[in-house]
Amino acid sequence: MTDDEKFFERLRGDAASLRYRADDATLARIGARIQEQIAPNATLAELLASWFRPLAAGLAAIALAAAIGLTLNTNDSTFGEQQVEIVMGGDTYLVGD
Amino acid sequence: MANDDPLEARVIARVQDGDAEAYDVLVSKYLPRVIAIAWGVVRNAHDAEDLAQEAFVRAYQNIGRFRTADPFGPWIGRIVMNLALDVMKHRRKFRHEELAGTEPAARRDNSDVMAMSNDIGTRIDAAIEELPEMQRLVARLHLVEEMEHAEIADLTGLSDGTVRSHLSHARAKLKEKLADLYD
Repeated sequence: MTDDEKFFERLRGDAASLRYRADDATLARIGARIQEQIAPNATLAELLASWFRPLAAGLAAIALAAAIGLTLNTNDSTFGEQQVEIVMGGDTYLVGD
Repeated sequence: MANDDPLEARVIARVQDGDAEAYDVLVSKYLPRVIAIAWGVVRNAHDAEDLAQEAFVRAYQNIGRFRTADPFGPWIGRIVMNLALDVMKHRRKFRHEELAGTEPAARRDNSDVMAMSNDIGTRIDAAIEELPEMQRLVARLHLVEEMEHAEIADLTGLSDGTVRSHLSHARAKLKEKLADLYD
């Protein structure tokens, strides 16, 4: 190795200490900012989901309540149509309808 | 140049499929280097961080055009280098002291002190800063970022011969300025 080469080898070794090194907090902050900027579609999807999720839950609750109501109503109607047989003193009476 | 990191190739494929969170793997891997490259050109921590952020966002926006088999590092390096050189052009246009060759140290901010590890480092840094712009850029990439000629050529868009020429001139001037350093 010539003197010139030795000089630049040593220079390169010392110059490497001049490399800029961002600290971990800076790297994390920039990483978060990049994610913020590149994920607009995901944010939009999440926004829509956050709007539709309670709406869907509300509609489901209304549908469930309606179904239960209809079932009860149907049962009541069925019960009302049934005739009850009462036997008293040898005579049979039908109650209902 | 082929990508010899299969994990990176898979991550790039996922990002191309729309997985934005997978991009974090590439950001974590290359962000320190990208900031360092930008800082080497603009010499300002705040600008370097903004440029690195901008480079990663642009790379993401154009990831569809990127060939999965290629390594991501040189590509993001070229993007940030172009952005940093644009900033320098902008500065030259609007700052008279740049044209007049005013002492470059005047435009350093306090954060630059972080990189000055010792007196030798300070002297080397000052000597590099006194070089003409392209020699300074090439010398910094070669000496500080420890890049080889081909890598510098790829990053800057200069030919290999031009890089060698700039570096040869830079070395001669640095030897002259720093001759006493290693006596």
